[in-house]
Amino acid sequence: MSGITKRFGNVTALDSVDLEVAQGAVHAVVGENGAGKTTLMRILYGVLAHDEGTIELGIDTSGIKTSGGIRPGIGMVSQHYGIIPELTCLQNLILGAEGGPILQPRQAEAKARSLAERMGFQFDWSRDARELSPTGAQKLEILKLLWREAKVMILDEPTAMLSPADSDALFHSMQQLAGEGATIILVTHRLPEVLEYCSRVTVLRGGKRVDEKLVSETNGGELAKLIVGGDLIQREPATERPPGASVLKVSQLTVRGDRGNETLKSVNLEAREGEVVGIAGVDGSGQRELIQAIYGLIEPSAGAIELSGQPAQAGVPSRIERGVRIIPEDRHEEGVVEEWSLDENAALGLQRLAPFAKGSAVDPSARHTEAESIAQRFNTKHGGLNMPMASLSGGNQQRFIAARALCVRPKLILAFQPARGLDLNATQNVYKGIREACDAGAAAIIVSFDLDELLEHCDRIVAMNNGKLSVPSRGEEKDRNAIGRLMVGAE
Amino acid sequence: MNWRLVALILGAVGLFAVAIMLAGASPIGTVVVLLKGSFGSARALSGTLRETTPLLMLGLAVFLALRAGLFNIGAEGQFLVGALACAVVALRFPGLVGIMLGSLFGAICGAVWALPAGLIKAYRNGHEVITTIMLNNVAAFLTSMLVAGPFKGPNQQFRSTSSIAPETHIPNLSLGPVDVSYALLIGVVGAVILSRWLKRSVSGYELQAVGANPTAAKVAGVSVAQVTVRAMVVSGAISGLAGAFHVLAFEGRFYESFSPGFGFNALGVALLAGGNAYGVLPASLLFGALEKGGTVLATNGIPKGITFYILGLLILVAAAIRYRRVKVVA
Amino acid sequence: MLNALLIATFALSVPLVLAAMGGFTSERSGVINIGLEGMMLMSCCVCALTSVHFGPGIGLLCGIGASICLSLLHWLVTQHYRIDHVISGMAINAIAAGSTNFLADKFTDPTRVGQVPHFPTLLYLILAVVAPFGLFLYAKFTRGGLRMLAVGSDPDKARLMGVQPVKVRFFGLIATGVLTGLAGAQLVSDSGVFTTNMTAGRGYIALAALILGGWRPIPALLACVAFGFFNALQIQFKGAPVLGVNLPSEVWASLPYLVTIIALAGFLGRNRTPAGLGKP
Repeated sequence: MSGITKRFGNVTALDSVDLEVAQGAVHAVVGENGAGKTTLMRILYGVLAHDEGTIELGIDTSGIKTSGGIRPGIGMVSQHYGIIPELTCLQNLILGAEGGPILQPRQAEAKARSLAERMGFQFDWSRDARELSPTGAQKLEILKLLWREAKVMILDEPTAMLSPADSDALFHSMQQLAGEGATIILVTHRLPEVLEYCSRVTVLRGGKRVDEKLVSETNGGELAKLIVGGDLIQREPATERPPGASVLKVSQLTVRGDRGNETLKSVNLEAREGEVVGIAGVDGSGQRELIQAIYGLIEPSAGAIELSGQPAQAGVPSRIERGVRIIPEDRHEEGVVEEWSLDENAALGLQRLAPFAKGSAVDPSARHTEAESIAQRFNTKHGGLNMPMASLSGGNQQRFIAARALCVRPKLILAFQPARGLDLNATQNVYKGIREACDAGAAAIIVSFDLDELLEHCDRIVAMNNGKLSVPSRGEEKDRNAIGRLMVGAE
Repeated sequence: MNWRLVALILGAVGLFAVAIMLAGASPIGTVVVLLKGSFGSARALSGTLRETTPLLMLGLAVFLALRAGLFNIGAEGQFLVGALACAVVALRFPGLVGIMLGSLFGAICGAVWALPAGLIKAYRNGHEVITTIMLNNVAAFLTSMLVAGPFKGPNQQFRSTSSIAPETHIPNLSLGPVDVSYALLIGVVGAVILSRWLKRSVSGYELQAVGANPTAAKVAGVSVAQVTVRAMVVSGAISGLAGAFHVLAFEGRFYESFSPGFGFNALGVALLAGGNAYGVLPASLLFGALEKGGTVLATNGIPKGITFYILGLLILVAAAIRYRRVKVVA
Repeated sequence: MLNALLIATFALSVPLVLAAMGGFTSERSGVINIGLEGMMLMSCCVCALTSVHFGPGIGLLCGIGASICLSLLHWLVTQHYRIDHVISGMAINAIAAGSTNFLADKFTDPTRVGQVPHFPTLLYLILAVVAPFGLFLYAKFTRGGLRMLAVGSDPDKARLMGVQPVKVRFFGLIATGVLTGLAGAQLVSDSGVFTTNMTAGRGYIALAALILGGWRPIPALLACVAFGFFNALQIQFKGAPVLGVNLPSEVWASLPYLVTIIALAGFLGRNRTPAGLGKP
């Protein structure tokens, strides 16, 4: 690809970007959010048209049919996965490359089985894809690439939802594929992945190609500098302080899911003033239910929740009143109202608290002032506070939501993947903000699927597996391997 | 302004002109007749304002539900039930007491008629468009059955109640030669109250949060089910009140096929109104004018159906202007 | 008696089934369609007016053509102008109500007597049986069907797999036009004349049946037949005492609506709504 330029309205998303990838290589594309990585990949894939520049492919694509403008021989796994939960696994596999107007389910399934065997995967093809775990979905995505006979495979942040062990397995599959002659382009912001598994790396910043390096000739520090275009904000070392009063005490908490199964099994957890507690675990281990129960969104079937020594009343409003704040998992769906202005979104969740409310009335001027400081706190880029939230990119929305959770007297911060979609500097900033709130007397519970992130930012880490919560034994509190074992229930 | 929008507007104007020319009239002449018939004289204006009154009240009802994310197509049925209930009560209690009790009873019955749709939406996730359409049909049959039987006026030839006493009528305010019912003024005050409430109260904020993104509203500590039921019931009460006012201010009795489709027009009014309750005022006036002007058109040999046709095109253009795509800028 | 009831049930179900299937191809590709009513009505009117002059064949085609036009208007404004689907549907219904009233008023020959020429209703009965099963097989075993379901479930993800939602929905709405057109033509052939607002809410009932059937063709077919049956009951028992009680005909007429409400309130616990419904 050379000289690729793409504009959205007045914004130049990509400015004359060159990218050359050798066949059989594992090539990394890194950069901050909004640097243009995904846009570039979508252009290469063919679902987005570019304004200027040329794309040349040195692969034999004869005999491969595609539709919808997708370039033959290229496959892409997007950040949020392309699995449609209502369809079966087999339907998901063949969608877009069905091989004829009439479906041949038996032949397709036979071929699917052989593809899965080649990768060492197993699937029940007639089941609904909604039942797949994130790992299963990731595996299905890879099979989709093989089904399409993709010679060039684009993986956009493939490990965002995976446990360390599953990520390792994924990279082994990738290396296997590269060994068979496939070309792999990995879009990521996790530098360890780049350094360990890739051969070359291209750095994008602000829609421009900054540099390209052989991985063997560079290091993490240099890459980080190239990505942000300056020095990273350094985290101040945590000061040791005696733990304060108890903010949250969860005892024997049990939650039942839709089908009557126990999604939380007798969980005990305590957080004290000034403490940042990380919850490690593979997606779907019960973190979601734990956060929802503490926040009051779901009712536990047994057990007790105490806030600052007092039993918590049922329902979200009473918890918000007592200072419980949330950075929700799905920012689009749970965190903002996209068609509302930033101003209006500033009060969401805090609408009954001062200064947003005066009695039962809304205070628009106070809301505007708060919105300003929320937007400023983590440098949310926006086109005006009266613009709709939908005009912000995902990363900027996340900054706004994180700042909002910290703005009005937080006592207990529940953060679900607070750094999701954030670049390195913004991640540092958000954690710094949480730390400051905790230093002022709050406590934080942080759920992340990225163990390294938790190890870096939390005072103490507990692990969840299959609805149970376990605490690392003395001396192993920050031991990566020990926590990793707890995450998969190996102890 | 983008070219797509221009194309749509030109297309709509073109479709309008073609239809008029098919009828053998000139498009511009038709518009002139429409305007004259609705605003041209004191009598025409009085007629337009009369048509506007139920549309304004019902428009507010539908608008409120719309802000909570509910399509209250059931305004029609709630209007009918409220009107009949009011007529029955007002016949028993003449005078101001009858006006008060009739309005109250009409509002209550409208609310009760909306309740199942709200409950089914909130707790069973059954789509309110379907339930309210069903309730409309049931309301039409039920009221028609009742005015044929127990509530039929003794001297009425057709299915109708007796007429209420003159002193039970909501009076008119005469502004020079133009008659304005107090019912219309109450509707205007209602628009002001509704707009202020939605903008300046926490409960209004929460209601609109439910309408715009129920999941986010739930995370923000709003009980989506409760808000849904409440919005539907209040919307039903306003619709029922509109029916009561229609009896008390204009018709003086309830009869079969009492509503010429006010409820459906009200949905158009609410959609055209945009994001602010004040928008219901001009939108209902426009619909009222088309309704009044349409009857004049009919006497000029242009079928009245043309007004519906114009409304449909108008709704499309208005919606297209409002729902322009938001661009990501940051 | 029973025989008459059965015949009436079939006759009354057929337009519902055809319209519900039109709703299926639209809603399963992600386009909410409360404009079924208007599309049917448009077809009724155009079919009746053209059949008089050109015979039933051309008349049927013109009716279908007219409802395809409305259906494509719905496609245009929802897909290219991103108008809310319910708003567009209401507008479609208003346009159809207005223009049919207008067209019938202008072009009906007042001196003509008797019925307009039409095809036998048996033709439509056969179509109403074939359509649901055909669509069932189409959704399950063809590329087009798979792509329709994918777009209806998640247009963004489908787009990423090279399926263009706008295109899929174009064909979905063409099919909607054809099926609602047939439904309208059936009504004309059943009654022999066009009357203002002759669809009388059948489009909404068809939509209700589709929803009751969980957006699946075969259950929707059954729901339509059930509605047809209640309607037939009403006609049969009009004014006649049932089990010794003389119920007003309005009670019978209300039955299908009450059944739908109770069904929605009671046993329709699981929500089968296509996830991509109404999404761009």
